[in-house]
Amino acid sequence: MSENIWVTRGRCHKFGDNVPHGGGIVPGWVLAGRVVEAEKIIPHLFEDIAPGFHERCKRGDIIVAGKNFGMSPKMNGFVAMQALGLGLICESMPFLAYRAAVGVGLRVMSACEGVTAICETGDDIEIDYRRGLFINHTRNIERAFPPIPESLRELIEVGGNTGWLKRWWATRNNTEPEASDAPASS
Amino acid sequence: MGMTAIEKALASRGGCASVRPGDVVEPIPDAIMIHDNVVIGAKQELDSIGIDRIAAPEKVIMVSDHEVLYGSLGAARMGAFNRAAAAQWGVEQFYDVGRGGHGHLFPIERGIVVPGMMYFDNDRHATNAGAVGAFGLRMGAEISRVLATGTNWVIVPKSIRLDVSGAPGFGVYPRDIGFFLAKQFAPGGRFACDLDYMALEFAGATDQFSMAARVALCSSPTEMGAYSVFFPPSAAIIDYAQVRAKRPFTPIYADDDAEYEARLSIDLSEIEPQVVRPGHVSRAIDVSEVAGTRVDHAFIGSCASGMWDDMVVTAEVLRGKRIAPHVRMFIAPGTEDSTKRAIREGLMEIFVEAGAVMLPAGCGPCNEGVVGPLDGGEVSISTATANLPGKFGNKDAKLYLGSPATVAASAIAGKIVDARAAAPRRSEAAP
Repeated sequence: MSENIWVTRGRCHKFGDNVPHGGGIVPGWVLAGRVVEAEKIIPHLFEDIAPGFHERCKRGDIIVAGKNFGMSPKMNGFVAMQALGLGLICESMPFLAYRAAVGVGLRVMSACEGVTAICETGDDIEIDYRRGLFINHTRNIERAFPPIPESLRELIEVGGNTGWLKRWWATRNNTEPEASDAPASS
Repeated sequence: MGMTAIEKALASRGGCASVRPGDVVEPIPDAIMIHDNVVIGAKQELDSIGIDRIAAPEKVIMVSDHEVLYGSLGAARMGAFNRAAAAQWGVEQFYDVGRGGHGHLFPIERGIVVPGMMYFDNDRHATNAGAVGAFGLRMGAEISRVLATGTNWVIVPKSIRLDVSGAPGFGVYPRDIGFFLAKQFAPGGRFACDLDYMALEFAGATDQFSMAARVALCSSPTEMGAYSVFFPPSAAIIDYAQVRAKRPFTPIYADDDAEYEARLSIDLSEIEPQVVRPGHVSRAIDVSEVAGTRVDHAFIGSCASGMWDDMVVTAEVLRGKRIAPHVRMFIAPGTEDSTKRAIREGLMEIFVEAGAVMLPAGCGPCNEGVVGPLDGGEVSISTATANLPGKFGNKDAKLYLGSPATVAASAIAGKIVDARAAAPRRSEAAP
């Protein structure tokens, strides 16, 4: 696995505290309808609070959020973020939401206290997820936050739960796994 | 140093002498529960990889509880898919529509979930297992990995001990206590303690709680983020399980010298009947503060208030009364066994004579309003687990929560009322 999936650079998209999963990250019907396909969710990512988000974001961009991001253990919106090649860092999120994000292979750092105070939407941001390094090139600010723990990196590298199962199954059957769902480097 | 209850459960199932918060373990569960609404996702994920068998079909319990009445062709398709999946996977413990009821209730009632047991479940309200001193750990969509491999990783949570003292006053029910606790765990509450991914252990004067009371008390801490809620099983709980247990069991109790993230206490005698205002379960307030609010919709049931005792309280309030003409009321006994008993013991007649609509055992409207939803601007009072906007369908509906007594009395009055004044009852009914 190449090293550089752990370092990304892109634009900042900043959100506040208590962004709910339904009605915030994705419209409520995505959850009620149990929509889990990335291509169906992407056009509606942040639709209720940041219309047109999916057209503005680019691979490597960083979602920066405040406290209690997602407010629930839902995973649907994280599927779209992972497929778009985005990263997520937030001041806090419920642990089960964090687990859900890791479970779909999203690069995510939680417990980044004060991060929303040192960036604005549009800033040029670089993140090293393995070292927990946050660099705001626009404002010349560098901060260290808790990195992605080593024990969870493997899961993200293989593309989350599905990727992990693919590799597990292939190993069991001594065959080569098909193309990985791992996040592409940027 | 001793261990908390969940640490003991995870250590024993993980093959370790001891564990500490933050340790990563891969426990081998006693059972694996999967609910009707996520079977498709898990099965299609495994099928897409070519995983055509599951690790331990004999451990798997499949339940149809989230969508029991097929109100749409999509639901009928889901039911058909699930039946085929159970057959292909070789799942024999398949409690389909009309066979068991709510997966967080009937296994406790029937001795399928027993003290000391540990299982994985896709659904977070598996925390109800703590009512009998068991551990139902939520896996979400990652239940697929549990099905395929027989386990999954768990980070050992920190534990919080909550010592209860005193007894609730007349007309104060376990849900009132739960709502009150949710407010204290929220930002600004007296506990100053975030329940996110904590294991909450009740301690102290817990022997006063019946099994139904314990079930009700598991709900609100779960909504506040608790990963596990645990009651040390009383002699009554052990006796109940011994008669019905479908498997041998060994109860687990925390060590006296276990280490807790926090030790909190609450005096139950200070709590008034609570109503939760729309938006979040922590927005609890004394019922007197919102009395008079007109309601259009009432619902009694859910994994928090679907036990037999909840049906009895509801019947005591509704007996000989009619619900207000502008209110529609739904009642969902939590289990098929409770539905049958309600017929035998005359509760069903009370409910129907009062004008309530009976729903089959299961989640009822609490599952995203797939039955009994609201229109925008309408107001509901219910015993649902939560009241985030949109929980009952329309995000512009206003969702209040209360105990079964408060909900039933409010349905009769057509507005939120204090059940103590509206319908005095036998004082021994609570909790």
